[in-house]
Amino acid sequence: MAHALRGKAAVSGIGETAYTRGTSKSGLALQLEASLKAMDDAGIDPREIDGCIPYFPGGGIAEDFIANLGIKDLTLSAFIPMGGATCVAALQMAAMAVATGVCRHVLISVGRTGYSGARVSTRLQQFPQFALANEFEAPIGMFAPAQLYAQGARRHMELYGTTARHFAEVAVTTRRHAILNGNVVMNKPLTVEEHHASRMISDPFRLFDCSLESDGGAAVIVSAADRARDLKKPVVSILGVAEGHPDSPASIAQRDDLLEFGLVKAAARAFPMAGVGPKDIDVAEVYDCFTFTVIRQLEILGFCKTGEGGPFVMDGRIGLGGELPINTHGGLLSQGHVVGLNHVIELTRQLRGTAGNAQVKDAEVGLVTGYGDMGDGSLAILGRAA
Amino acid sequence: MSTPALPERPLPTPTRESQGYWEGMQEHELRLQHCTACGKVRHYPRPVCPHCFSMESEYRKAPLGGAIHTWTVCHHPFNFFFKASAPYIVALVDMDAGVRVNAPLRGVTEADLRIGQRVTMQFEMVNKETTLPYFVAA
Repeated sequence: MAHALRGKAAVSGIGETAYTRGTSKSGLALQLEASLKAMDDAGIDPREIDGCIPYFPGGGIAEDFIANLGIKDLTLSAFIPMGGATCVAALQMAAMAVATGVCRHVLISVGRTGYSGARVSTRLQQFPQFALANEFEAPIGMFAPAQLYAQGARRHMELYGTTARHFAEVAVTTRRHAILNGNVVMNKPLTVEEHHASRMISDPFRLFDCSLESDGGAAVIVSAADRARDLKKPVVSILGVAEGHPDSPASIAQRDDLLEFGLVKAAARAFPMAGVGPKDIDVAEVYDCFTFTVIRQLEILGFCKTGEGGPFVMDGRIGLGGELPINTHGGLLSQGHVVGLNHVIELTRQLRGTAGNAQVKDAEVGLVTGYGDMGDGSLAILGRAA
Repeated sequence: MSTPALPERPLPTPTRESQGYWEGMQEHELRLQHCTACGKVRHYPRPVCPHCFSMESEYRKAPLGGAIHTWTVCHHPFNFFFKASAPYIVALVDMDAGVRVNAPLRGVTEADLRIGQRVTMQFEMVNKETTLPYFVAA
């Protein structure tokens, strides 16, 4: 029997601001600008939005959306505290809301001044999810995700022979895709040599293994599938969606297997729900807070076995024209850091057939992942409606 | 332009659950939270035993030896307090007591690091309320 949520919701609108380093706008203004674009894209009057899932902290809260958009009867206001896994997990919550009739149109949005405002190490101190890391790890000099995730990457290298060359391939390929997009922070080509020469941040992560601290806003509207058919754009259906939480969710250090992410559990649910497997995926937008995180998620998603992610990304496989094009917009590594909502937007564009120079030919089914906090995971499988 | 003041070292704020751990540090002991009902160890500290759901626990002294599980070498000081000490190695260690501890590893060069390498916990008083752990080669 088909899963109760399969195909019941659709991504009906997408919007994003310019991605920059430096802005005079507030996080909330960026978030609203992107949101208005998403409503225009869908052909929905802002007052019709009745569900609001803003990324938090940063940007606005539901009250701001009611005040700015004139929403008369908001029926759902929610935060999802999963860091980088938030946006894709929000697709699940939005799908549940529209499938049950609680909402008609749910707005998922991010507004961020990650460059102009508080930087990463300051920002994370405010997350309750980081309380244990703040107590036990910050005092000994471990603050930032680049440090906390580096230990898992190092272990993968020691156990399986994954190398900086593999990391570089993800960075260089993603940059090549970013240049095709145009609305990106990093718009100059990157070579493997330049990757290797970039300064070390937290071994094994060099500067070009790390995602950007940037300013920008992004928004997505999820509507009930039957309503989406009446809107402006081709229907991009949510076929499968799930979130997953790793064991020892607030501490990577205490997890039996540092490389077990919540995505393990999310993938075990989302693929069967969608009724597809890794071989059916035409394009993958994979949360790329770090190059290594992409490599490990490709293993978890079943595109290759554990330990084989490094060699898997080589020889053009993950580039446009390859077997599995990934991050066709430039990702968090090269486009901008809006917590992966730009990945959802790009996948929607790919499945509408409007991805321009980065279009994957005949893309019909694709996936998007989220990865956040200490390894929370989320996965959505979207499809072009027939 | 004036030189900005050196930021303060980030310090732990002990909680009701973790107080026994930090008190142990001050006395140069690794003390870990154990369930009084089933006897199992847990770290980081928390109110309920995830094995038997007992809320009774006590701190017991644990051995200081362990083996390296993995590591990172921190070059970029995300907090500028650590700028002077960068680059520094932070080792994640499988303690013989059955939990992990993340702490700086001193006196070992990066090229010599390997998984499974034996290390011992030592203690450093950073102010009169707080002592923090670090590791040296065993």
